[in-house]
Amino acid sequence: MSVGFRERLLATIRAARPVLEVPDVLIVGSEVPNLLEPAAAATLVVSQDLDVGVPIERHAAVKRRLADLAEFQPSADEPSVWLPREPDLLEVNFLGIDASQAPAEAYVLDDDELPLLVFGALSLLSPGAEIELAGTRVRLPRSAGLLLEKLVTDRTGEKGERDLLVALGVLMTATPADLDEVEAMFLGLSPELRHVVCSNLTILSLLEGRPGMPDPGPRRGDVAALLRRLERGAQVEP
Amino acid sequence: MNPALERRLRRHRSRVVVRAWEYRQRRHARGAWFRLRRVLTDAAAAYVVSPADTRQLIDEGCCPELVGQEFDPPKVIVFAPAERVARIAHARTVPVRLGGELLVAEHLVLVPFVAREPVDPRTSRSG
Repeated sequence: MSVGFRERLLATIRAARPVLEVPDVLIVGSEVPNLLEPAAAATLVVSQDLDVGVPIERHAAVKRRLADLAEFQPSADEPSVWLPREPDLLEVNFLGIDASQAPAEAYVLDDDELPLLVFGALSLLSPGAEIELAGTRVRLPRSAGLLLEKLVTDRTGEKGERDLLVALGVLMTATPADLDEVEAMFLGLSPELRHVVCSNLTILSLLEGRPGMPDPGPRRGDVAALLRRLERGAQVEP
Repeated sequence: MNPALERRLRRHRSRVVVRAWEYRQRRHARGAWFRLRRVLTDAAAAYVVSPADTRQLIDEGCCPELVGQEFDPPKVIVFAPAERVARIAHARTVPVRLGGELLVAEHLVLVPFVAREPVDPRTSRSG
């Protein structure tokens, strides 16, 4: 499954190149751990779409490139989602990033052509590695911010559990320096959001493995260690 | 505003309100599930044992986790080193997750990922 998925992911990146190469645009969400694996192995399959983070200052620049997205068309129901015209590509889901926004807030950047839901949690993301894939330069967020973004975002039901598996994927590819950064950023969160992070780590630790997705079981020790470290650093009380 | 985005935004804001309420509830009954998950997160393995086994472990100095008393029927949950658990004749391993086997168990021994510091039950963080 993962080989086929990797091909679809890379083909989607190639097809979305016009917008992905706009400066400061980031790939965010579930595909980042796949792209951070060696040679973008894409074995950490959690969902079948490509989330594209658009800083609101770049909204106009991205809009100018939409006409070049020949292999996609906007969804009639939700124009921030662009659907592939062929089944061998993934959906592209545009999200707004507003660095000045508080993590718990959200708003809609209204626009006839490309409206964006701007989630405050995405303000935790900052540009990280730029890599070349499928002939396209793509910018990924720093792992620490992505991990925390996944852990502060409200999680409910099936979608919530899959999103926590994205956090697991990030943790699986994180370096010691990334974890230092996670701890530093965690200390800057409000007490309520720190609690949410800790609560989501406990949920992640107790999730049952799912076929074809990252398995939390073998990584439970890493999750517990991160939780202890964050609690110690912030003197969090449950 | 696009109706679909408006719905998503409304759902998000509702969840934020609920989350804030849950945070305020964290020290009360609603927080018991977090406290239970928090204890289980530190466990590399979990075993269902007999009442006599947990009593013996407590006599040996293992502290019962206070969160166990927040459930009905109450649970006696203690951490013990793997080598000590290995000496319990009928310890039955159960998956460490919020599944049926673990939730119905009334006497649980957990093996920690790392050795736990002695805990004063009066100041246990699960309290």
